[in-house]
Amino acid sequence: MKIEREELIERLRELSNSGYNYLVKITAVDYIDHLEVIYFIRNMQNKKEEHVRLDLKDGESLPTVIEIYKSADYYERELSEMFGIAIEGREVKRLLLEKWDGLEAPLRKSFPWGSDYKSG
Amino acid sequence: MLTRINVGPIHPSTHGVLRLVVTLDGDTIVDVEPHIGFLHRGVEKLAENRMYMQSESYMEKLDYAAPMAYSDLYVAAVEEAMGIHIKERAKYVRVILLEFQRIASHLLWLSAFCNDLGQMFTMFTWAMKDRDLILNLLQDVTGSRMFYVNMRLGGVSIDLPQNFEEHANKLLDYLEKRFKEYERFLEKNPVFIERTKDVGILKREDAIALGVTGPVLRASGVNFDVRKDYPYYVYEKLHFIPQVQTKGDSFARYKVRMQEMKESIKLIRDALKLMPEGDALGMPIKLISPPVKEKEVIVRRELPRGEGMIFMVTDKQRPYRLAIRAPSFINLSALRYIARGARFADLFSILGSLDPVMADVDR
Repeated sequence: MKIEREELIERLRELSNSGYNYLVKITAVDYIDHLEVIYFIRNMQNKKEEHVRLDLKDGESLPTVIEIYKSADYYERELSEMFGIAIEGREVKRLLLEKWDGLEAPLRKSFPWGSDYKSG
Repeated sequence: MLTRINVGPIHPSTHGVLRLVVTLDGDTIVDVEPHIGFLHRGVEKLAENRMYMQSESYMEKLDYAAPMAYSDLYVAAVEEAMGIHIKERAKYVRVILLEFQRIASHLLWLSAFCNDLGQMFTMFTWAMKDRDLILNLLQDVTGSRMFYVNMRLGGVSIDLPQNFEEHANKLLDYLEKRFKEYERFLEKNPVFIERTKDVGILKREDAIALGVTGPVLRASGVNFDVRKDYPYYVYEKLHFIPQVQTKGDSFARYKVRMQEMKESIKLIRDALKLMPEGDALGMPIKLISPPVKEKEVIVRRELPRGEGMIFMVTDKQRPYRLAIRAPSFINLSALRYIARGARFADLFSILGSLDPVMADVDR
């Protein structure tokens, strides 16, 4: 299911009210000109899955879905760390996985890799 | 007055390098904040810069308690991407080895868990010794005790040795006897009962909302097992029952894993009986043709710690994006909700019963 960024909360709330109550994962793919964010959501009754996708342009932020799915907590923090996506509506104080400053968003394609990488 | 206590990152009961900052009111836990990331290696990024089959051995390091389960998850994703047919015998070989791996992983958990509870050494040495017998068997098959790297596209790297069935059956009979002994020892043990029953209760609705998975989810009364609900390999043909408990406390999580080991024994016996003759060897690594089209692949497997999922966007030579859903990561994120209101001494009973492997949490 492809949606717009603005309708994310509304559509997820609809889904969670209709039985899709389990968040499997939130992840993103960097297609260089845009980012695609994917929410994997499952109905625990009939085990059906729904993939909610949306495109983000560079610098756009995502609204938090922690009100709807509590388990989004760590996934959102991971997402904002790995892809540099700002999450609206919640304050993330501390980095979750990365412990180094200066270099950001390691899972972006623009992240320096191999011989391009310079430490410090 | 609130007190803050630091636990770890190096601590025998944190199962690896995990730091917990615990806020206490007297002896009651107000909040627990896990600090993770000490073992973060960026496997997802590494895989983007390696040819498909070069990453298999990386994936094993994600879960050092059950490495084969993870390499199977990754290889299955590559197989799906390339549209490779898995040989019939190879499916059975994989199921047999993976179930042995599950028992070994649960035994390692049991020994560490009992150590956490102050149930020193008896259970630890028993479970470790029995796990060692399984490792011996896996060594006979793959030549390695810890990191096997024996999954190949379309099959396995080495078929089962000739006397495998005899050895396996002997081991299964022995394990079955031992598990009865374990249960007698633990479930009548006042220390074990006191420290697990009614400790760290996770209700059904909370378990779903927090997204926990695997034995932790099933201990809270949710009947979800990838082997049953999204069947793969030959699990449909084999007889087993997903183990569900309703209470959701530490004891229920112990019970689910204990029962699961017994189910695994049944599964292996079934698979050994039904396994056809023939060829189980996979493709040599040099003969692999890469997927040309860009496509998306989603693969799920029931790992010993819960549901593992790989979401992969493929490219010509290497994955364009590899996203791993690690069961320990999400189980550990539930810790702060479960531990709230518990006594400080029970924190390790709760943490231990979630069975996190830190390499899996941090990736």
